[in-house]
Formats: sequence, C-alpha cells, structure tokens
Amino acid sequence: MPVAELLVGGILLGGVYALMACGLNLIFGVMRVINFAHGDIMAIAALSTVSIAVGFKLPFWVAIIAVPLGCAAFGALIHVVILRRIEGAPLIMSLLATYALSTILVNVAILIWGGGYSGLPGVLSGSVRLFGINVSISRLVSFICALGVSLAVWWLLEFTRFGRAVRSVSRAPELASISGIAIERVRLATFALGTAMAGLAGVLIAPAFAIDPQLGSRFIIKAFAVIIVGGMGSYPGAILAALILGVIEVVGSYLAGAVIGSAFLFLLMLGVLLVRPRGLLGAGIRV
Amino acid sequence: MKKLGPLTIAGAAGLAALVLPLVGSDYAVSFSIQLLIFLVLAYSWNLIGGYAGYTHFGQVSFFGIGAYVGSLLTFHWNVPWYFAAVVAGVAGGLTAVPLGGAMLRLKGPFFAIGMFGFARVLEAFALGFDSITQGGTGIYLKPLGDLRPLYYVVAGVTAIMLLLTWKLDNSRLGLKLLAIREDENAAESLGIPTTRLKIGAFVASAIAPAAMGSLYAIYLGFIDPPTAFAPNIELTTIAMVLLGGMGTVLGPLFGAVVLSIVNEVLWANYPQIYLACVGTIVLLAVMFTPRGIVNLGMKSGWLAVGRPLFRRLAARAGQPS
Repeated sequence: MPVAELLVGGILLGGVYALMACGLNLIFGVMRVINFAHGDIMAIAALSTVSIAVGFKLPFWVAIIAVPLGCAAFGALIHVVILRRIEGAPLIMSLLATYALSTILVNVAILIWGGGYSGLPGVLSGSVRLFGINVSISRLVSFICALGVSLAVWWLLEFTRFGRAVRSVSRAPELASISGIAIERVRLATFALGTAMAGLAGVLIAPAFAIDPQLGSRFIIKAFAVIIVGGMGSYPGAILAALILGVIEVVGSYLAGAVIGSAFLFLLMLGVLLVRPRGLLGAGIRV
Repeated sequence: MKKLGPLTIAGAAGLAALVLPLVGSDYAVSFSIQLLIFLVLAYSWNLIGGYAGYTHFGQVSFFGIGAYVGSLLTFHWNVPWYFAAVVAGVAGGLTAVPLGGAMLRLKGPFFAIGMFGFARVLEAFALGFDSITQGGTGIYLKPLGDLRPLYYVVAGVTAIMLLLTWKLDNSRLGLKLLAIREDENAAESLGIPTTRLKIGAFVASAIAPAAMGSLYAIYLGFIDPPTAFAPNIELTTIAMVLLGGMGTVLGPLFGAVVLSIVNEVLWANYPQIYLACVGTIVLLAVMFTPRGIVNLGMKSGWLAVGRPLFRRLAARAGQPS
C-alpha cells in the first residue's frame, strides 16, 4: 500500500472539504440553518469557472475573484428573499427551504450547462515532485488556497471586531442584540461569507475534478460528515476533521473501491453522531 | 353552509377510489397508483414528522430497503408480489427498531443529517454490493399484466393509514405525540414516555413506506439505487405533507392530491424544469402557507375547524415578516 501517496492525496482532498465545511459550519453556527444548497452553489461556481476559462477564454484568476463575489451576492439575495422571512420558524422550515433551493439550483445548472461532465484542461496542469511523490499542481494549488482561506476566515472570526460580533450572535443572539450588535446585518454578512466560501471551493475544484451539475449532492454529504465529526459550529474542528476525512476517504477508496470508500465517511459520521454527537472539538452547541 | 368534516371528505375520497378502476382508463389507474403510493408515504411521514415533529429526512431509506427486499424476493425466488410487499414492510419495521433507538436520541439538525446520511449510506451500499443488488444496472422484474389488483392493495393500505391517523388524532396518544413536538422536555417532565413513543412513531412510519417501496418496484418493473433512494421522493413526500398541513388528518390527502396532479402536468409538459418547479412550490409553501391548505380551509370556513396546527408556527402568524 503506497502509504505516503495516499496520505498526501487525502490531505490535499481534505483542504477543499475544509473550505466547504467551514462555510457550512459558519452558516449553521450563526443562523442555525443547515444549508442543503451549499454543495449546489459550489457546483454552479465550478461550472461558471469552466465557462469563464473555456467559454470566455479569460485567465483563471478572474474566476478566483469574480465567482466568489458573485456567490456572495447570491447568498445575500437568498438570505433577504427567503431565509430572513422564515427566521424563528421550526427547523424543518429552513431545512425544507434550502433543500428545495438545492433541487432548483441543480435543475437550473442542468438547463444551462447540460448534464454531462466538464473539466478545465490546461489550467494548472502537470505535477511537481514533493518529498519523492508526484503531486498534481492543480490539487496542490487548490489545497493551499482552500486551507489558506479557511485559516484566514478563522483569524477573522477570532481576532476582529466583526468576528467577535459573529461569535456572539452564534452563542447568544439575544445578548448580542441587547449589546448593540445588529444581528440581522451580522447574519446577512455571515451567510454571504459562507456562500462565497462555497463559491471559492467550487472554483478550486474545477481544475482538479471532473465536474457536473450533480456534483453538489455528492460533496454536501461529505461536508456534513466533516462538520459532524469535527463538531457542529466548531471552526478548528471542521478543519481538523476535513483533513482526517480526506485521508480516510482516499485510503478507503484505495482499499474498497470509490463507492464503498465514500460510504466509510457516512458510517464514521453516523458513528460519531451516536457516540459523541458534539464531535471531536465541538462545544455542544445549543440548538 | 355545512362545513366539511374529515369523515365526509375521506368517505368521498374512498368512494371515488373504489369506483375509479371500474370506470377509469388504464392511464387513470396507473396515475392513481402513483398518487396512492405517495399518499401512504405522506401519511407515514406525517406520523413522525407532523405529529412527533421530528425532521425526518431519511424516510426514503425505508422505501429503498423495501424496494430491494421485495425485488430480490420476486426476482430470485418468484415470490408473489403481495407477499413480497408484506415481507418488505416487516423488514422496514425491523430495521427501524434499532435505528430509531439509536437515531432518536439525536435532536433537530443532528437527526435530520443523520437520517439523510443513512439514506446515502444505503444507496452507496446498494451500488457497491453489486453481487447482490446488481449495482447500477438495476433489477428488472416481470411487469404486471393488470395493474388493478396492485391498485386495490395500495388503496387498502392508504385507507388503513388514513384511519390510523384519524384514530391517532382523536386519542391521548396523538396528544402525547403533539406534546413531544411542541416541547419535548416539558412532555418528558409531565410523565410522557417520550423515547418509547418516538420510537413507536418512527417504526410505525417505516413499515408502510417499505411495503410501498416493494410495490413501487413492481409497478415500475425495475429498480436501481438512484430510483430506490431518490432524494426526489423524499422531497415530494415532505412537500405533500407541508402543503396540506403537518400534523393533521386531512393535510396529507389534500397535499398529495394537489401535488400529484401538478407533478403529472409538469412531468408531461415540462420534464426539463420539473424539479425546479417542485422546488419552487416547496419554497413558496414554506414562505407563505407553512400551515398548509387545511389551515386555509379552516380560515375561509369550508372545512370544519379541528385542532390548531403547529403552535409555534401559529405564534408567528401576527409577526410582520
């Protein structure tokens, strides 16, 4: 068993999971909304990246900047039009709303891009030799960007005024409100930030994976597994769990084939749910 | 004007269901079988999702288990389809007992994600263990010549589910489940055995969908993992209950009839935007009529007033959005 290759491959995969799961986790922490549409936003971002790079022949960095901004705007729109209206309703309402949104997005993506696979040939292709292992450049770049942005957002949450506001809305919205924090604005900004992270994750997976409109549903469940294992609402937990699960998925796929390999992740998630629902680093979030 | 009560409406629906196969075309019977299958799914979901208030996003796992148990039985051992459906239902119930015991300790979003994940695990296994399930190729079954027996069986199960829900709605048990929905801790403190009741509702809501899964496979003559564990079936079922009114006797009936007709029209005319339309309907229902058609009926006065619906939703009614 090529241990080093599998380990590196898993960690590189985990970087993208981290970025995705962190966005999802941020949204859950602040709004108590499980965003089923998160993966589909990512899929649409990836497909848009292909359109920008192949269709319009613009350089890849244009997509890196433009697509997350577009996703942030879309997230803000979703928040204002849908989620703000059902705030305070039972959990099932927001679940159903984002689930419905997810099917709408998949359908729209199929209408625009068709149901087939597409990719980004020629962008960040090739590989480099690191510690005696061949690593594809696209995966390495997406890992560095994804983990870098995840850590940057973590820094933002821990050490800035905005971050403190976000954390206090997440812990105790009522107290945050009477302390003069505009919780509606914080929620709006957080949702936009979360969807922008999904968008960036989409841009980063475009050169490394074959992408199609159904990609979102395959990734969202992995992101769920990550935030459950890491602890719902726990940011460092999500990063740690993403790397662990990346390795488990790659090793599992190597040993048992891709389908069963990804089932390992869900089984691990179910196990964690049953044994330690608060996750590895979770603080036992109030729901 | 005389207001319509549950008995009048259910009676009329039952009569229509009895007469239909005698006068209707094959297309009408075929469409009605689908409608009735979804009605059973909706009534089952209503038990755990509407009455006990658990956000159940994995009912399709039981549907899929049933579909595979039933298909494998008929495929390998030539078991008659009605008998296979019974075995499938029992299999679904037996799966639900330990699963419910484990999963129902989880609350809110954890339960939702856990059950959603469970369905995906099963789908992955159905794809992966292709020596048993024939994986992505799927299993082809001998098609039924005449759909009418299937129709009567499904209609019978639907009637049972409707009666069961009606009995439940008028019993202490129903009130206890509603208490769990409104505030589980308070219910527990009043001496309601919440764990036992939740598991009971969960198991009860698993048996019929498993049987329906088996019958659906017979109806289609084909089953593969994406069909058996389709998230689409899940969404449609929940949308029906939501549209009609969660935790009511007539809600699933109205919701399923309305949504099935809308679906059929959409599917026939605009198959490429079918999913987006269903999604939009769900979104609009969540935003504008979260208490369902039943509530609209009660407010406008043509439906007899029953128990108030989702109280936490009712409390929000006066709030400016």
